[in-house]
Amino acid sequence: MTRTFTLLGYAVVAAAAVGLEIAARRGAWATFGDAVSVAARRRPIRVLLIAGWLWLGWHIFVRVDWG
Amino acid sequence: MHDHERVGDGPVDLGATATRGAAGRLSARWAAPALAACGYGWWAVGLAPFSLAASLAVVLAGGAAAVLGSRARRRATLPADRRRIVPWLVLIAAGGAVQLAAYLQHPRVDHPTLSSLTNALLDSHAARAAAFVAWLVATAELARR
Repeated sequence: MTRTFTLLGYAVVAAAAVGLEIAARRGAWATFGDAVSVAARRRPIRVLLIAGWLWLGWHIFVRVDWG
Repeated sequence: MHDHERVGDGPVDLGATATRGAAGRLSARWAAPALAACGYGWWAVGLAPFSLAASLAVVLAGGAAAVLGSRARRRATLPADRRRIVPWLVLIAAGGAVQLAAYLQHPRVDHPTLSSLTNALLDSHAARAAAFVAWLVATAELARR
């Protein structure tokens, strides 16, 4: 049951992201890409974003036992 | 066929040929790098997990993609209205809260993190290689912004 709740939490966030992106393309908000562009204008945030993304790649593709 | 039909067809054919030519040149320009990235991805995700070689293969390729993306950086054209990005910040915080709640609890099978779900999805070598190439492309795109 707890697994179901956790998966439901991820699903709600993912569905909200899709809904927000659709609303953004109609002009209500910034699209995800635009939001990243606005955030990345500040150099420290840009460096943090890229460093975090590189860490995520390392975490997914290296720090895992595929068995 | 009437003459007026031939006259009408001519420019369309030329235009289509030019478009096909441009598309062909574009494809040829990207075909080799795309193939190289796929080959590299296939090799990189086959390296031993937790090894220095795997770490270098991933981080160096990601760094190279970031540098390439930075060189082609877009000029800022968007209005810097930060209020328009607030919903995304709220959503990222919500996703982070779900992830953190799962991470702090055990067993993992009952409280899956995004990492554990991703590992399950990337079970095959081909899926891992495809995800790695997608990650490289996303890295370059992120650096371009």
